[in-house]
Amino acid sequence: MTALEGLHFSIKKGALVALIGPNGAGKSTLLRCISRVLKPTLGTLYLDNRDLQKMPLQEVARSLAVVPQDTAVDFDFSVEEIVSMGRYPYLGRFQRESQQDREIVRRAMETTGIAYLAQKPVTNLSGGERQRVIIARALAQEPDLLLLDEPTANLDINFQVEFLELARKLNREKGITVIAAIHDLNLASQFFEYFILLAEKKILSIGKPEEVLTPENINKAYRAPVVIQRNPLHGKLSITVLKRSYLEEKGQRLKVHVIGGGEESVSILAALFDAGFQLSVGPVTREDSSHQFASCYRLPVVTLPPFSPINDHFHRQHLALMEKAHIVVVPSIPFGLGNLRNLEAVEEMLLSRLTGVILEETPFGERDYCGGKARAVYEKIKEKGALFLPDSEALLSYLHDREKNKKPGW
Amino acid sequence: MPQDKSASKISRGILTTDWQKRACLLVLLLMLLVSFIYSISFGAVSLDKREIFYIILEKIAGLSPDTAITETTREIVLNIRLPRVFLAALVGASLSVAGATFQGLFRNPLADPYIIGVSSGAALGATFAIVSGLSMGFAGFGAVPILAFAGGLATIMLVYQLSRQGDFVPVMTLLLAGIAVSAFLTALVSLFIYFAGERLHQVVFWIMGGLGGARWSYVRVMIPYVLAGYGVIYFFARELNALLLGEDTAQYLGIDAEKLKKIFLAAASLLVSAAVSTTGIIGFIGLVVPHMVRLVAGPDHRFLLPASALSGAVLLIGADTLARTVIAPTELPVGIITALLGAPFFLYLLRRRKK
Repeated sequence: MTALEGLHFSIKKGALVALIGPNGAGKSTLLRCISRVLKPTLGTLYLDNRDLQKMPLQEVARSLAVVPQDTAVDFDFSVEEIVSMGRYPYLGRFQRESQQDREIVRRAMETTGIAYLAQKPVTNLSGGERQRVIIARALAQEPDLLLLDEPTANLDINFQVEFLELARKLNREKGITVIAAIHDLNLASQFFEYFILLAEKKILSIGKPEEVLTPENINKAYRAPVVIQRNPLHGKLSITVLKRSYLEEKGQRLKVHVIGGGEESVSILAALFDAGFQLSVGPVTREDSSHQFASCYRLPVVTLPPFSPINDHFHRQHLALMEKAHIVVVPSIPFGLGNLRNLEAVEEMLLSRLTGVILEETPFGERDYCGGKARAVYEKIKEKGALFLPDSEALLSYLHDREKNKKPGW
Repeated sequence: MPQDKSASKISRGILTTDWQKRACLLVLLLMLLVSFIYSISFGAVSLDKREIFYIILEKIAGLSPDTAITETTREIVLNIRLPRVFLAALVGASLSVAGATFQGLFRNPLADPYIIGVSSGAALGATFAIVSGLSMGFAGFGAVPILAFAGGLATIMLVYQLSRQGDFVPVMTLLLAGIAVSAFLTALVSLFIYFAGERLHQVVFWIMGGLGGARWSYVRVMIPYVLAGYGVIYFFARELNALLLGEDTAQYLGIDAEKLKKIFLAAASLLVSAAVSTTGIIGFIGLVVPHMVRLVAGPDHRFLLPASALSGAVLLIGADTLARTVIAPTELPVGIITALLGAPFFLYLLRRRKK
């Protein structure tokens, strides 16, 4: 049985490449072929236009270094001894490390920030420190190509970022080509410039993040529905896997309309959606997070043009959407002149058949940004007999109760 | 997270610089010479150390014979105690170096020279020779050492073949196959012992290990094995360091792990087989000595191997001296002494490691 087949690709010197793909796609196998631990049954790997299999092992070790997944060391070599092993490929048979070798080892330890640990036994280090020792050893090999096999798999999140920053620094400052097999797509997209997506023994996609990290590719490779967005904090692509339960058919469940806008609406929407209710979302602009939620799960939504008030046209659309619902929920969102009409719409629609639920996680007074106008509408809604609940939990139990005692005609 | 996934680590030593290590080797060499003289002087007949020194000088430097020294003394020194001390040194060194090598090869500090069955194979050969009363001989050797040597080597080859998968020999399989084959051979040995009859004492004595049968012919045949075995292993000391970090890592550092594994296996097995064939199964030296050295100077084999060889030699000479003198004129099997001293010491190491 072959682990990989039909691979044909080349990596430019100095590139920073992430190797991604589901478990068992062959990431490690590919890395192990490149590092010559495995020999491909068919095909050839070239390093600097030289057939890798025909190069002497020592020579390979001078231009290619590996940081393996498991860096545990059972014997208590000192940190310096471990890093010095990176010089083995350069030493002759009974030759000891020269002054120059020691200097290279020292610099490698400084680059990775472990010089102060030099005399410590490596068995006493934390996982993050040990990883640095191993990367220092790799640096002492003075490689042109650095292979990292799931380097962050065993690290805390702070070490993960630190480690990948180090890898990027080595790539940029020393021009070392880096190929890293990596599980965490979000972490990878933050740091890497090129991607190779492996799936089902093949390269599914290769290139820049925008070319590789598409919902179609990721869905095909991982068999999971995903949404890919630009992360607002670093501008790189960020991948979110959708819960499968979200995509199931909702059937004849209670129809709930949620007034959109802001973070508060999204958490309510997610909670209701998770519980399986049929949802629709009130007028929001495309940039709003509840709009993203609605469009991702294909919920009926009234979409406003960017930075526009709710004019009569959208108001009518909103009323029409609400008409189809059994219950309308007003999350604990702030109200200003921009969305006051949503509140008015709720007031208008509060008929006997449509129940209004107002969530009051924070007092309304603190959320009124139109000098009392919202307050007035709010009081009217109250008079019309809307239901006031403290939080989403209360809302959910109320909705479940309603469903249990459901009247015919729904 | 300082996760201690293996229970196999040992606190790091005090010798760090190269010159400290060199000085340590010199001290060990000196201790070896001293233990030589002392061991020769102790025994059923106590001998004067100056006389011993002179007799040895007579022999190697060609000094004129001192008429004050009796022929009996000469006979005891040259033909009884001297070969015995030499053999103790060679066997102690072989077992310690083989122990260090197997511990490195299996990346397991609990490995000992007999871990993959050399001892049980040798024991089977020796027991068979004793029980059957085989009276063959070759170049001054009786049937027992010859069959023991052959049994040891044959076992290693069997275990190796059993665990080979194409070109690869996974060390874990090697270890497990060794244990299984060992168990089987030990059962056969027990069977022989059951039917040993009046030769029972001889068999048991052999299995316990002892240097009582030492003679120059043993020393002569051990020397090339020890030199070759030790030479080969020391030649690849650096590679053994890298193998301690795993075969893949060794390969990343430019080392042909698969080839070296075979070389180490062959060299260490030769050392052990030669040692076992002349002295029977002497336990604990090969397990404890490399640990002691690591405790003092860390696991770098460039120091560990020579230091283990010297320490092993000194320790076995010491243990044998005890075996000869504790209840003189009766001799204890030296294997009993090494186990009596080695096991508690090993437990002490284990306790220390927990802290």
